[in-house]
Amino acid sequence: MRILRYSLLAGGIALGIAAYKVQMDNLHVTLIRSVGLPWNLTQAHAMTVGPFTTSARSWAIVSGAWLFLVAGLVAWSRRPSNRLGPLMAAAGIALLLRQLRYSHDAFLFTVFFVVGELSYWVVAHAVFAYPSGRITDRLERGLIKVGYTVTFLFTIAILLLYDGSRPLRFFDPTPRDSLISVGGSGDAAITMQKAFVIVVWGVLAVAAIVLLIRKLVLATPRARRILAPLLLAAITVGLRAVFESIFTFAERPSSVLYDYLFWWQISAFIALPLALLAGFLRARLARASVGDLVLELERTPPQGIRDALRRALDDPTLDVLFWLPERNGFVDAAGRSAELPDHGNRTVTRLQHEGEPLAALVHDPSLLEEPKLVNAAGAAASLALENARLHAETRAQLEQVRESRVRIVATADEERRRIERDIHDGAQQRLVALAVQLRSAQRRLQDPEVDSLLAATVKELQVAVEELRELARGVHPAILTEDGLAAALESLVSRIPFPVDLDAAEGRLPAQVEATAYFVACEALANVVKHARASTATVRTVRRNGLLVVEVEDDGIGGAVAGNGSGLRGLADRVEALGGRLHVESPAEGGTRIVGEIPCAS
Amino acid sequence: MDRDSRVYTVVLGLNLCDHSSMRPTALIVDDHAAFRASAKTLLQDEGFQVVGEAEDGRSGLELARALDPDLVLLDVALPDLSGLDVAERLAGGHSKVVLVSSRRPGDFGVRFREAPVLGFISKDNLSAETLEQVLGGSA
Repeated sequence: MRILRYSLLAGGIALGIAAYKVQMDNLHVTLIRSVGLPWNLTQAHAMTVGPFTTSARSWAIVSGAWLFLVAGLVAWSRRPSNRLGPLMAAAGIALLLRQLRYSHDAFLFTVFFVVGELSYWVVAHAVFAYPSGRITDRLERGLIKVGYTVTFLFTIAILLLYDGSRPLRFFDPTPRDSLISVGGSGDAAITMQKAFVIVVWGVLAVAAIVLLIRKLVLATPRARRILAPLLLAAITVGLRAVFESIFTFAERPSSVLYDYLFWWQISAFIALPLALLAGFLRARLARASVGDLVLELERTPPQGIRDALRRALDDPTLDVLFWLPERNGFVDAAGRSAELPDHGNRTVTRLQHEGEPLAALVHDPSLLEEPKLVNAAGAAASLALENARLHAETRAQLEQVRESRVRIVATADEERRRIERDIHDGAQQRLVALAVQLRSAQRRLQDPEVDSLLAATVKELQVAVEELRELARGVHPAILTEDGLAAALESLVSRIPFPVDLDAAEGRLPAQVEATAYFVACEALANVVKHARASTATVRTVRRNGLLVVEVEDDGIGGAVAGNGSGLRGLADRVEALGGRLHVESPAEGGTRIVGEIPCAS
Repeated sequence: MDRDSRVYTVVLGLNLCDHSSMRPTALIVDDHAAFRASAKTLLQDEGFQVVGEAEDGRSGLELARALDPDLVLLDVALPDLSGLDVAERLAGGHSKVVLVSSRRPGDFGVRFREAPVLGFISKDNLSAETLEQVLGGSA
């Protein structure tokens, strides 16, 4: 393969020189012949800066083709399995061969008139096949097939009709001989040539431009960054073809404008292989950044590994998921369960460490073009990923604990509500029914002795009912479930034996949040009543930044401690279970301020 | 239908068509049978004719509309509608509504305080005296 590539390079260089020579010979022939022919030298000179070539232009065309060849050969040697390299090299060779069609030799003219026009489609083929070497899109593949076929048929038809009586368009004034001419006329061949320019350089070039723009629009962000220079250069070349098609009908532009158009096209043509090379250079740079990755990861904390990989692989959308064997599933860096995406916009590369699943990189599909790069980065990061996985595992366990705490609080709340209902609907109802019945009996009997006995019994029953009521209220106040936190706090402060200023936010919140805030206020006020020797207290609830803040303040003696076994410790546990915080400020003789901050999705 | 079954759980009072009796009529709406029985005895002793009983809010509402009793003894906490909902829907009608509950007035919110009813009696305090007090001699 290497020999083939060197041969192609040598052949390409020779072809380029030959192509240049053919062009220059034409120029001389044209200039010399023009002396004896009806044209004068001025006209001939005008032609040399018009559609015909100059030395500089000729070199530019040959250099553009050489660049294609070299870029193709470099790509070929870097990735022998990718067809893009051979395709680019073929485009370079075809572009060089195209120049041989200007030869006055009948055989060279006939063969390379056909090959020359096909060369542009080899270039288009390579552009659409970038970077995988294969055209996967049905429309794009269709366009390239139509391009090859139509171009081939048109050029054959032109050669069949061409009788050498008139110069062809884009050629110097000396007529050539078509080896496959079947007669006809110069006019017919030139009409056919015009039709060819309209169909291929007009219609098909517009179609190619549309498909290139579509490719750019549909690409993922990372792929777009890589494709953009190449596709923009290709679109520029395509536009030049469309202009040429328009000039077939319009008046030929001035030679100065034509000169601009020529250099515009040739610049874009030179940019094409350069853009391809840049793509390759990019991959090499990325591989170099994998080297940096190894060094960088040594001082990267587990949570920074994703960003390091994003930089190394140049994919700002990359994500890392860690495999947890005991869960038989993936989690993210925070330890939350995560599913691998299964849609086309994201691609997953699974990484292993010592034969065991380790992690999955979720990335832009364009990285699939560089599997070695992704695997190299994965291998470089495997130790750090193993660490990060352990980190994620710990986070996952913590997350599980947190979730179970929330569930415990929820279950306890539900249980309290059930007990409250049981007390209310059971014993309490029986006792009140009994009291009513005894009163009826008392009224019917009208016996003073029984009357006082029944009155005492009813009184006793009322005490029992009141005790049950207090018990039920303490377990879980029904008003909290039915009317919400503000109403429950209002009911609560109304039973406190000194003035309490209440400022409660209206509106309902999740039951757990309301219950937690209520019990914070309830426990804090109970402490105020029992220990603080306060004369007044304030209860405030406010919703702020996704938190429900409940605050109880008194003017008592202070010195409250949220120690073990105290009600405050239990409250703090409860608030923390919901991801919140409980602050206690209680300087001696300075009153006590208890603030609970409870996250509430608002 | 569910709705019908609720209606049929209601125990209708006797002698609905007994025009000789001019006693005031009463409807008891409470989900506890033992309390309904005690309250019924008490109301009858006080000269009421208990024309119906209902064990939930919807059937209570339907019976109140069908029977148009002079008094509705209405529990605040019912399994479906709240007693406050029932009271609001009966507001402006002929029936006088007295709320009862085994909870204290302070255990309820602002809707309770603004309910369009004649008064409230704590269930353990329900007696001829408290009833008369609330009815204010109008019964």
